[in-house]
Amino acid sequence: MKKIICLFAAFIAAAITANAQCASVLRGKVIDHHDRQPLEFAEIYIKELKKGALTDSSGNYQITGICDGNYTVKFTHLGCEDIITSVLVDGNTVQNFYPEHHLHELGLVDVVVKQEPEKTTVSSYRMKERELEETRGKSLGEALKNITGVSVMQTGSSISKPVIHGLHSNRILILNNGIRQEGQQWGSEHAPEIDPFIANNLTVIKGASSVRYGSDAIAGVILVEPDKLRDSAGIGGALNLVGLSNGRTGIVSGMLEQNFKKLPALSWRLQGTLKKGGTIATPQYYLKNTGMEENNFSAAAGWKKNKYGVEVFYSQFNTTISIMSASHIGNVTDLLNAIKRTEPLEKGEFSYEIERPYQHIEHELFKAKAYLFTGNAGKLSLVYARQYNLRYEYDKHRPLGDSLAGINKPELQFEITSHSADLLWEHNAIKQFTGTIGISGMQQGNTYEGRYFIPNYRNYTGGVYWIERWTKNKLQLEGGLRYDYRHLQVFKYENNVIVSPVYAYQNSSGTVGAIYKFNNHLSSTVNIGSAWRAPGVNELYSDGIHHGAATFEIGDKNLKPEKAVNYIASILYNNQKKWNIELSGYHTTITDFIYLQAQLPPTVTIHGSFPTLKYKQVNATFTGLDAQVNYYIIPQLMITGKASVIRAFNKTMNDYLVQIPPDKFQAELTYNFKSYKKIKNSYISINAVFANKQFRVPENSDYVMPPDSYTLLNFEAGTTIHIKKQPLTIGLGGTNILNTVYRDYMNRFRYYADEMGRNITLRIKMPINS
Amino acid sequence: MKKIIQFLILIVIVNTVSGCKKDEDPVTIPPVPTNETEIMTTFKLIFTDSAGFAPTVTAEYRDPDGDGGNPAVQFDTIKLLANKTYFANAFILDETKNPVDTISNEVMEEANDHLFFYTTSGFSATVAIVDFDTHNPPLPVGLQTKWKTMGIGNGTVQVVLRHQPNIKDGMFAPGETDIDLVFSYLVQ
Repeated sequence: MKKIICLFAAFIAAAITANAQCASVLRGKVIDHHDRQPLEFAEIYIKELKKGALTDSSGNYQITGICDGNYTVKFTHLGCEDIITSVLVDGNTVQNFYPEHHLHELGLVDVVVKQEPEKTTVSSYRMKERELEETRGKSLGEALKNITGVSVMQTGSSISKPVIHGLHSNRILILNNGIRQEGQQWGSEHAPEIDPFIANNLTVIKGASSVRYGSDAIAGVILVEPDKLRDSAGIGGALNLVGLSNGRTGIVSGMLEQNFKKLPALSWRLQGTLKKGGTIATPQYYLKNTGMEENNFSAAAGWKKNKYGVEVFYSQFNTTISIMSASHIGNVTDLLNAIKRTEPLEKGEFSYEIERPYQHIEHELFKAKAYLFTGNAGKLSLVYARQYNLRYEYDKHRPLGDSLAGINKPELQFEITSHSADLLWEHNAIKQFTGTIGISGMQQGNTYEGRYFIPNYRNYTGGVYWIERWTKNKLQLEGGLRYDYRHLQVFKYENNVIVSPVYAYQNSSGTVGAIYKFNNHLSSTVNIGSAWRAPGVNELYSDGIHHGAATFEIGDKNLKPEKAVNYIASILYNNQKKWNIELSGYHTTITDFIYLQAQLPPTVTIHGSFPTLKYKQVNATFTGLDAQVNYYIIPQLMITGKASVIRAFNKTMNDYLVQIPPDKFQAELTYNFKSYKKIKNSYISINAVFANKQFRVPENSDYVMPPDSYTLLNFEAGTTIHIKKQPLTIGLGGTNILNTVYRDYMNRFRYYADEMGRNITLRIKMPINS
Repeated sequence: MKKIIQFLILIVIVNTVSGCKKDEDPVTIPPVPTNETEIMTTFKLIFTDSAGFAPTVTAEYRDPDGDGGNPAVQFDTIKLLANKTYFANAFILDETKNPVDTISNEVMEEANDHLFFYTTSGFSATVAIVDFDTHNPPLPVGLQTKWKTMGIGNGTVQVVLRHQPNIKDGMFAPGETDIDLVFSYLVQ
């Protein structure tokens, strides 16, 4: 491994000697801190380069032909105090200014530096600040579900995981602070182990993105990113308080960060979240045993110089989630009886207590990153990460024997430890080309105790990739290649002897794409990308009853890797004052798509008989359309429409696929109030979501027909009040405000109970700045 | 200020060190399959003639490696003589343990949380539960049953054990199924 790194370093050194031009761009927007109006004729000036630009009528500015590095940038505008800030130009960099546009209120200046999300030719959506605020208190899966093309797969009300274009779990990559999240992603009841309060940026990349992010990114990638560490001297932070009426949930999340005046290179940040919730209520009854608790914290420190920088990050996620009592069943007869009942037998009262069955999950991430600016040529980064994921599952009933019951051990326990290293070199423009070359490796070990579900395994993966981008005038072209290797060794007992079969998988993937800017308002992107995924250990080795689903699942040791080719095309029209339109269509073909196929006869066990499902491979296609349209009726009043439509087929059997999200449509009306004295950024919005019934399911694939269509009404309102100089942002939201009784096709517990009833959320955010 | 830095460094060091300890996974040594959780592998009914004349009859369902893996190795037909009254005792075993664990003893201890149901088809046998728990009034359990056979014939009997912790009320609905087996019977 060391040799490879050395070789690679030598290669990069050679590449750096190539002569480079400085073609980075610094751009951004200047927006009044209070009324969020763009400011025209503001001057942005780079001191070192004696270069500057004025903002246009939309508040935008752009300074081109800059070499990467650290600069002092001065902002001046009539009626505002000057802002002098240090900006790290690193490729195309965005620096927005939010000046306080009042002479009498000087001193309250809010400078936000945001790295522009890497422009990809696949479709991507980055959540806006307000949208992100509205999701505070929700889990990561829930937070993303309003994005077109994204839906959520649930196990009851407390476990939710994101679905992109109909695919989920180990067909989606989640990058937590730049690190590929490694946990127990094989089951529908295994939610991502991430505290959403860590993220100040949530981006969903829709489409195959294996080249940049590695294997498994068949459907897309979710980027969970904290803001960069503070780079202006002082202490800052934020306190978030959230209360939810349903489940009587309370959340406290705080963040504190500092950059030192005498030691400007050093910054640190501490962040933590506590969450506690009780029994969830449907419109008509309580769902017994649905409480949860969560406590998370993270710490980060950075040392940033002009030429190099070092960052360390550590986070811990701990949660205990109870599983609804009524979902625990013995066999198919129990399940059919549960379906026949319109309400679960076990209902009960409100309680914060977490009883069996429940899960306890811990996730740790340690990350160390070092980067070095290789002169004008580019930037070299080395990232090491260690992740540890622990999962305890407690059955509904303690063991019958008193001695075992006394210990209260989990019936099922997994521990996964992963070490990963990434070395990448991003080169600045050489002629019209910019690009990234990277190498990454990972080692992973899994152990289990208790009931057998999946075996112990050791996993080594390695990959190399190269992406280049060519930009000229209105056209940007992108192409990349990647090669991955995966070595998997399984350790398990077979007839009292340890066997340790070895699997090796390898594959190449590629991507080509283009962005064409017709004019300032209209642009279009196309991309063709390939991705692959090696079969998961559960798909190779499952052999037993899946409680809750009442199925008997059998793995297949001879599964081949899945290979996907994804075509995606988008059109963006942006006329900020009137229209904002984003349309994208996609088509994905997956060869050797792995899924659970019903088999005959049913498996007979002492607990009764269970339908037998085997992991099989077929050829599948996923075709769909995502659309979002914003229209400003008057400057204050905006109407938004969203649509997500997907069709999935099993080509081999000429049938539909199961568990595909039904068509979803949303309409939203938002009114933004004008500022009034110390009350600013006030808005109110009302939103209706329609989820159709999923008519396209294979026959006899499920115990019941998919649930009926439903419409939910939600609202959001927010405002920022300044008490003296302290701003206070208050938000009030409500989901399912009409208390509609419904069940959702993507919730595994749809067999047993209705969805959550009305839920009112109150959010208070207090930023700290000194 | 210095204290804050020191504190921060301390946090990072402590977490890194404490985190690393967990790294020594014995991945290559999977747990021995005879784990501590209980597995029901065998259900056995032993019939004795109430009059003491007919020979004792045993009928078993055996899946010695539990669910999955190899299928059941034994699933007997219950063969009884016509026009007799039998008393039957039910046993649940975990044969993955050495010595074999008699789970039915624990069911007996927790009789207040368990209830058997015996459902017959065909007209040659009836089954009645004869043991009761300590509820007031007592509720049936079903580890002990009385079987009456009539004329020659055959049919099936479905044996269901319901686990109903703190919710047993004599009805089938509460709780979940621990055992569900359909035996064939033959009265000759």
